[in-house]
Amino acid sequence: MSLLRVKQLKKSFSSPEGENINVVDVDNFELAASEFCGMRGESGSGKTTFLHLLAGILSPDDGLIELEGKNTVQMNNSEKDSLRAGTIGYVFQSFNLLQGFSCLENLKLAMSFGSNYNESFAEDLLIKVGLAHRLSHKPSQLSIGQQQRVALARALVNKPKLILADEPTGNLDSKNAINSINLLCELCQETDTALLLVSHDERVVSNFDRQVDWNEINNTDSKG
Amino acid sequence: MKRFKNLFSLSFRGIRQFLFSSLIASLSIAMAGGLFLSTWKIKEGAQNSFRHSSSGFDGVLGARGSKLQLILNAIFHLEASPGNLDWEQYELIKNSPGVKSAYPLAVGDNYMGFRIVGTTPSLLTEHEWQEDKRYELNPGGRVFSESNKEAVVGSFVSSRLGLKVGDIFHPYHGLTFNESSKHDDIYVVVGILSATGTPADKVIWVPIKGIQHMDGHASEYANSVSAVLVKLKGIAVGMELSMKYNRQGNQATLAWPIAPTLANFFKRLVWFEEILKAIAYLIALMSSLIILATLRNSMNERKREFAILRCLGAGRSFVTQVVLGQSLIIAVVGALGSFLIYFLTSSLASYFIRKETGVMLEAITLDLNSWYVFLSIIFLGLVSGIPPAISAYRVDISENLQHTT
Repeated sequence: MSLLRVKQLKKSFSSPEGENINVVDVDNFELAASEFCGMRGESGSGKTTFLHLLAGILSPDDGLIELEGKNTVQMNNSEKDSLRAGTIGYVFQSFNLLQGFSCLENLKLAMSFGSNYNESFAEDLLIKVGLAHRLSHKPSQLSIGQQQRVALARALVNKPKLILADEPTGNLDSKNAINSINLLCELCQETDTALLLVSHDERVVSNFDRQVDWNEINNTDSKG
Repeated sequence: MKRFKNLFSLSFRGIRQFLFSSLIASLSIAMAGGLFLSTWKIKEGAQNSFRHSSSGFDGVLGARGSKLQLILNAIFHLEASPGNLDWEQYELIKNSPGVKSAYPLAVGDNYMGFRIVGTTPSLLTEHEWQEDKRYELNPGGRVFSESNKEAVVGSFVSSRLGLKVGDIFHPYHGLTFNESSKHDDIYVVVGILSATGTPADKVIWVPIKGIQHMDGHASEYANSVSAVLVKLKGIAVGMELSMKYNRQGNQATLAWPIAPTLANFFKRLVWFEEILKAIAYLIALMSSLIILATLRNSMNERKREFAILRCLGAGRSFVTQVVLGQSLIIAVVGALGSFLIYFLTSSLASYFIRKETGVMLEAITLDLNSWYVFLSIIFLGLVSGIPPAISAYRVDISENLQHTT
């Protein structure tokens, strides 16, 4: 059974000139539990919008998104909040760590929105990503690569079923990018978490057994 | 508990990020609340203190004129005397049926700006300035004798001028200190009054003959008094004497009863209180606008942070509470500050009122109404935080997270 099922998903935006622009038009997309998928696509082609739709950050104009058999499109705001707090972990290109909080506090804060608050688990995760000596450091005191590792740990801290990673290596050099992808896959494997990673970088996507071309599944006219 | 801790640290972070404008907002709240509390409580305290500071007298007999001026001059030792009465007037009222006691007063001189008041020793030995309370002297002192140039110094005067038993001084003519109007007479301090918290503390008491026969005083002083303080046996006597002096006579005025005359005096000051209150309301309005502006600025900067929080699973209500928490912290700091300002202004007011009148303000207390003011300030802060909190509630997650693809 699929963990994630997307059917006839459509999203459009109005341009400043009042024109309707179709950004997402996906007939069918599925992801099995614990499955890893790399999705390649050019910048500005609607991949982030697609991930935002999956995470319940945006509401589609039409279509179905099923996560663990539940139609998330029909969920109310509070249910979508719970979904993001528990079932989905999100990794951003710019990491989006909260600057005023330490590494551990960033994880603990994310954990406080979920249902299983466990400080030692947060610490273990940071140790696992190689930041045992940086628990109380603020993001600004860390290197870019270290910040990315905190972001990965934060996405996994509530033991989600699915990780959505949006250009997670966009800000990293190639060596750090590969290390980061390997770490993410390793962590997801250990926790049986499915991973959907989108990137414009062929070198990143080519690491995945299942690779999807965004332009092939997205039926909009504007392919980037 | 964890959520509450996170809520507080996120709110506090907002304060730290906009520390200067948050402090200004708190300060303006503190000023508004402090001014409001001070106006209200000092007036209340002063009214009560003055009402209870009639020094145990029921009325004042003096020259024809304003009753308030008579009371202020004879009881509170403020203002100038409206004129003098013949000594016979004192004898007359003293011997009137229904008058329990009467004490003559003569004023017109000072020492270093503190009034010298001539009276009979019995005022200091027999009169009860409060029920069952007579004036007491500090150890080593005694009351002046009627025929010597001796003085008993009020506690406040003693502490300000450092006068002690055995010291000598020259009186100065007039009620305000002028170095060139020194009398040749020399007075010896024979006693220091224990503090009473009444106007008696801020004068220098001497025998009435001393004032009457002071070197340089006009000869008519010798047979006159500035006022007579009276204690009556009952209300009926007061009514009868009031009728006699105020309606039928034309030589003297009896200021009786004292409390309503003082109450009328305070009523005349209501406009001043209203102006201060209006200023307090204006500052309160200004402070709520400052909170609003501070939080709005903070919101613009923190939209991305709130979007991240929402993306991590924080509900709309959580980010709303973060902003309200921020306004709550500003308001609580402001409310605490308003009590600090109130204590400071009360202490200052208390000092100056004591210095000018000798009246000790009632102790500064925080009653139920003060706590209502505290809660109102917090409510005001929270209300000011509502518009930015709504904006946090509506924050568009997708728009405020960086788009990359």
